[in-house]
Amino acid sequence: MSDVLIVDDEKVVCRSCERILGPDGHDVDSALSGQEALDKIEKKKYNVVITDLKMPGITGMELLEAVKERYQEVDVIMITGYASIDTAVQAMRLGAFDYIPKPFTPDELKAVVVRALERRRLLDEAREKTMRTRVMFEYTMPDELYYLPEHAWAKVEKDGTVRAGMDDVFQKSVGDIVQIRLPSTGDQVEQGGLFVEIQDSSRRTHKLWSPVSGKVIQTNDDLLEDTTLVNREPYGAGWMIRVAPSNLENDLKNLMYGEALIKWWLNREIIEKKEDRYLQVSALDPKFKYEIAEEPGGEGIKYCFACGVCSASCPVREIDEAYNPRKIIRMALLGMRQEVLQSDFIWLCSTCYTCAERCPQGVGFTDVINAIKNIAAREGHIHPALKMQAELLEKQGTLYEIEDFDNRKREKMGLPKIHTDKTRISDIFKTTGFKQLLEKKDNDGV
Amino acid sequence: MMEYSLFLGCTVPVRARNYEISTRRVAEALGIKLVDLDGFVCCGFPIKSVHYDSFLLTAATNLIVAEEKDMDICALCSACTSVLTEVNSLLGRDYELRARVLKDLGIRRKYRFGNSVRIKHFARILYEDVGIDQIRRRIKNDLSQLRITAHYGCHYLKPSGIYDNFDDPEHPRSLDELIEATGATPVDYENKNLCCGASILALDERISLDMANKKLMSANEAEIDAMTLVCPFCSVMYDDNQRSIESRFGKSYDLPILYYPQLLGLGLGIDEKDLGLNMNRVRVNPLLEKLGGRLSHSTRS
Repeated sequence: MSDVLIVDDEKVVCRSCERILGPDGHDVDSALSGQEALDKIEKKKYNVVITDLKMPGITGMELLEAVKERYQEVDVIMITGYASIDTAVQAMRLGAFDYIPKPFTPDELKAVVVRALERRRLLDEAREKTMRTRVMFEYTMPDELYYLPEHAWAKVEKDGTVRAGMDDVFQKSVGDIVQIRLPSTGDQVEQGGLFVEIQDSSRRTHKLWSPVSGKVIQTNDDLLEDTTLVNREPYGAGWMIRVAPSNLENDLKNLMYGEALIKWWLNREIIEKKEDRYLQVSALDPKFKYEIAEEPGGEGIKYCFACGVCSASCPVREIDEAYNPRKIIRMALLGMRQEVLQSDFIWLCSTCYTCAERCPQGVGFTDVINAIKNIAAREGHIHPALKMQAELLEKQGTLYEIEDFDNRKREKMGLPKIHTDKTRISDIFKTTGFKQLLEKKDNDGV
Repeated sequence: MMEYSLFLGCTVPVRARNYEISTRRVAEALGIKLVDLDGFVCCGFPIKSVHYDSFLLTAATNLIVAEEKDMDICALCSACTSVLTEVNSLLGRDYELRARVLKDLGIRRKYRFGNSVRIKHFARILYEDVGIDQIRRRIKNDLSQLRITAHYGCHYLKPSGIYDNFDDPEHPRSLDELIEATGATPVDYENKNLCCGASILALDERISLDMANKKLMSANEAEIDAMTLVCPFCSVMYDDNQRSIESRFGKSYDLPILYYPQLLGLGLGIDEKDLGLNMNRVRVNPLLEKLGGRLSHSTRS
């Protein structure tokens, strides 16, 4: 089924884990130290690493950081003692998939490994689907909530109580839920401690760790009647408990919220090389479209309503999707100024004008892309081939120099000689400032 | 007699002398006077995408040369025709822009641009000014055995707004009618409107050659004797690069590529050597053999 590495300085723990996971078809190896684990990970591709938090030498936390830096697709599960729950929660912020407090039962270990594999499978499926169909598989993270990432959420209500529930990533990796065991009203819960047990359709039990500490003052009894509420509305009607918090200020410091959460998520996505799916709004330039509209030929950008006729008609796009007129204009309208101006693709327009002829809005995309190229060139991003052509014109007045040899050939054919005024274009370039632009190194130092 | 200043641009005098010589001979035969003027420079097309101001001034320089002599311009390259027509029209109607351009060029005299000088592609001169009937009447040789496709390219017809819609860019007919006027049979084919890809040859050879290959494939499937075209850029793709394309894509086309004046010249009875046929990269002998002649082919000079 999968390759699992157990890392613990106690041999007995390693053997126990091997005996629990081996019969389920997992190929289980063990390492008695963090260094041994890293050596093994370098040689073999593991799906899951289960590591003790406290070890001599390289600690579990250090091992987690090293694995996440170099082997992004390996999921790490921490084994923790009770006293280190805080550290375990922090480990999840660093990218640990989950933690299992000692002592744990075989079923608990199996359940968390299976959930990790299932989540990875869903992500891989989503990535393939995205590449095939460009349909995005969405995870929702309402922004007013605090998160134990990919595990549980907490919402501070106006009355100071805290509502808590299951994160939809956790929910998707568990799948269909058949039973939910909630705490009772009056029970105490602690951050990082157990607050809900879930049984999936394969009868595996999964533990949800509480995002906050406090006294349970209400449970969502609707879930006992209809467990599908968690699947359908994990952040709404699928809430689980309401708590009178006992240590809210400190608890919230261990959770992720707002921009920190987005950065955490983006960092993970970037590590998993999915950064092209994301756009940082603060990096956009809303004035870019107006800048283009001010350029000769660029005014048509204002009329585009993204129907895609240009892309459908483009002979270059038919060969290479890198040049996609509709996508370029959308990027420009969104304000992705640097991405557009510094791209290679803006230079691939063959100026066939097919898009311009067919555009129902009269955008004149060929001229719009020319406007964009002019802006790019001013900022030092000229395609080297076009720079070379401009330099030839500046130097010899024509793309192909006509020398005496060429004129003799022409004479032989009965064609008139041609004398080019080599200075005319150079003078023009000096007047317009193009000569100075050509002499500047471009932004890549060419 | 019709009279035009002949604008050769950068490519024709060096890479398409066969186009130039066949044009001159055909023009002579049909009573079109083509005058060579001093002072023409590059049309500006290569710099339009990187420095618009320089492009404007460069194109305007050529228009001034023609207006000085009170002559319309006949261009052989479609890209040259397109940009000169565009700038001519723009400067003709935008008084402020015109004044700025003249000032930047250091010229005090007022020029009228679009209001006096016209620019026409040679093929369009044949189509509109000479006329199909006149051409038909002057044909001496029987080309009826030849099946010829037309490659219109892009800038000969587009952007259509600057060309006063003399032909339909989606369903063009002018070159087909010109082919028919010679007695040859014009043949339709898939991808007839496809761009040759020349504009991006230096920027991305892979995409450019792929585009050209698509066209050659479609034309070849139409079982033709030759493809005819009206732009030296297009000829660079289909004639000069045909062997590279065959090698890259594992194809064998051996498709002669003729400039239209070469085809017309054959029909008018102009000697093959005066049409520069020996300079075409892909041998035209199979086509000539069909007509009962054979050219002793020398390597292109």
